[in-house]
Amino acid sequence: MKATRFNPAPWLFLAPFLGIFCLFTIWPLLRSFILALQQTYGPGTTEWVGLHNFRYLLTDPLFWKAAANTVRFTLGSLLVQLPIALGLALLLNRPGIRGRGFFRLTFFAPSLVGLPFVAMLFAPILEKRTGLINATLHQLFPLWDPEFAWMQEYVMSSLILAALWMYAGFNMVYFLAALQNVSKDLLEAAEIDGANAWQRFRHVTLPEIAPIAGFITLLSVIGSFQMFELSFILLNNSGGPENRGLTIMMYLYQSGFVVGDLGYASAIGWVLALTLMGIALFQRWAARRYEER
Amino acid sequence: MKLLRDQINRYLSPGALVILIIAIIAIIIAALLPRQPATGIPMWISAEPHFHAYKPFAREWNERHPERAINLVLLHGTAMERRMLSGFMAGTPVADIIEPNIGVAAKAFAGPLESVGFLDLTERVEAEGLLDKINRPSFAPYTSRGRIFGLPHDVHPVLLAYRADIVEAAGIDVSQIETWEDYFRVLRPLMVDTTGDGRPNRYLLEAWHTNPHAPSIILLQAGGMLIDENDRPALNYPRNAEVLARLITWMAGPNRVCVDIETYSASGHRQRLDGLAVGFLVPDWMAGSWKRENPGLGGKLKLMPIPAWEKGGRRTSVAGGTMLGFNRHTEHFETAWEFAKELYLSPVLAEQMFRDTNIITPVKALWDSPIFDQPDPFFSGQPSGRLYIEQAPHVPRRPSSPYVVSGLERFTNVLGALRRYADRNQIYDEAALRIEAQRLLDEAQAEFERFIGRNVFLARAP
Repeated sequence: MKATRFNPAPWLFLAPFLGIFCLFTIWPLLRSFILALQQTYGPGTTEWVGLHNFRYLLTDPLFWKAAANTVRFTLGSLLVQLPIALGLALLLNRPGIRGRGFFRLTFFAPSLVGLPFVAMLFAPILEKRTGLINATLHQLFPLWDPEFAWMQEYVMSSLILAALWMYAGFNMVYFLAALQNVSKDLLEAAEIDGANAWQRFRHVTLPEIAPIAGFITLLSVIGSFQMFELSFILLNNSGGPENRGLTIMMYLYQSGFVVGDLGYASAIGWVLALTLMGIALFQRWAARRYEER
Repeated sequence: MKLLRDQINRYLSPGALVILIIAIIAIIIAALLPRQPATGIPMWISAEPHFHAYKPFAREWNERHPERAINLVLLHGTAMERRMLSGFMAGTPVADIIEPNIGVAAKAFAGPLESVGFLDLTERVEAEGLLDKINRPSFAPYTSRGRIFGLPHDVHPVLLAYRADIVEAAGIDVSQIETWEDYFRVLRPLMVDTTGDGRPNRYLLEAWHTNPHAPSIILLQAGGMLIDENDRPALNYPRNAEVLARLITWMAGPNRVCVDIETYSASGHRQRLDGLAVGFLVPDWMAGSWKRENPGLGGKLKLMPIPAWEKGGRRTSVAGGTMLGFNRHTEHFETAWEFAKELYLSPVLAEQMFRDTNIITPVKALWDSPIFDQPDPFFSGQPSGRLYIEQAPHVPRRPSSPYVVSGLERFTNVLGALRRYADRNQIYDEAALRIEAQRLLDEAQAEFERFIGRNVFLARAP
């Protein structure tokens, strides 16, 4: 058998990418893993602590509080945001609606501005007494307490609300694209067979859009786990009252850049990355199982 | 020409062509922009009022010493923090002279003593008698493990500013107030419901459990502490539990007298102007900031010493701070030191700083300046400078630990938890709350000790 000759051409073409990838992705990843095994005060002052950072993390009440808050935010995003996004998409996919283009743009527009802007916008909206929400509710219902403390007592709900305003329209666009690919023939056939609107949605539309829905769910989970700017700005670079708005990313930032414990911050980063990797693998496995059925 | 156009059209779409043209124009403009190479010894400043006050002084210095010029650089606080710490930790360029605020400076003390990026000034400060010239408690936040790393820029005593227009219109005489108990008792008639909705439209003090500003001021005033004099966590110090319990009786329940107002927002300033609160805990720098940001309050406020925690107790507290430090690797220390001393000991600059920012100098010899006795129209003609200076020697000592901010976060969280406990159980009695406060503080202390104990560098400190 003739040995295959080494052809350098593909490697030459790949070299620029590989160089940049190794320099800016692989090396920092490796470096951060080494950092996670150290306690450090700059490169000149490091102390090897082995798995101590990871062991500490397992028993750190603040980390678990941040993790619980992040899961709460993720669940809130999934259970509130995605159904609303799907509902909007279904509404705006109906041919009879006038001004569909305008509404689509209106609902999508918040996602054009970015999370820091949303946070800046919601901070005064959620204020006590003078905030838009409290002032309006107090005007409409005089019994409503204008001192209702959204950002103190209902931190996570406020964050979910702000994220909803931004991302519902964004996810709606994905759902719209998926809905436009649902076979009209199938829908018509189901209608002729006597299926009502719910049955058509349940047995035709939903299976057709399932792959996109799975993808949006995965994106939402990853995005929610990485949520940082919103709480950073809305809670003024803190975890909020009693850390009720502390997310994993916020805790990572605080550990690394407020406390200056870069080793611990790296350990948190690795745990977060592995968690997200696990979720992505689970989603792929679940999607494959669904397709096989 | 046509050939060239065909070639361009072949390789570039119209969009790509536009991007390319814009890029080329931008490069040309950037290349043609006049550049002024930075000259002189760099000094980083993050407080804009300080920068503007120092500019004429530095200009004059540079005219006198062109060969030893100083180059003032204004940086955003976060930018300065990142660049300073990166420089100290990783050796990236750092200015020779740095003026960080108290929270940023403390972060430089997290590593071993020999890794602190600021130059150790202990011997210099002692040899030149600066410990006697400058208000001594002001050195404490910049002294780590017995070594002094910075010259204090300020003292930042705190006074109580009250709405004199409201208080005097009600015929109330504040001179009878000595303690917090007196304060709330005497001013209680001012808590009125003018709209008839069952809620007061006026409260007696701006302080809240979610905003650490007032609780931290009152904690220090009362003799509480987050970190002890040996830089060990002291969250569960019994006085802290007493402070927490009493604060809750002010902030919750049927006898609530405190209100929260956004510190820097426009709506917060509006509510202060509308008289939502009668009293405010105001450090000297905040008085300057209000003069700029809320001039409408001018003539409505008066200052008085903070009511004491208990009879005969301290009538002031402290909040905020800035120091001047030197990069330990500076090659221009003698020049930088000479400039710093002139800057911080200058009577002209001290007066300028007070005029611009209301901040009083920590240099005791300058406290006799008549500028501090001038009537201040913002505070209804009172000599605000003199009132702050009278309290300056009594400001409580603060530690330099890099964990002060973390400790304060935990303290504020316990305050919030205690408030929820009080509301849940309808307990608003100070003695009963103190037991729960102590329990919560003990829990927080255990976690805080573990948290600080992770720092192997500080654990090894002598």
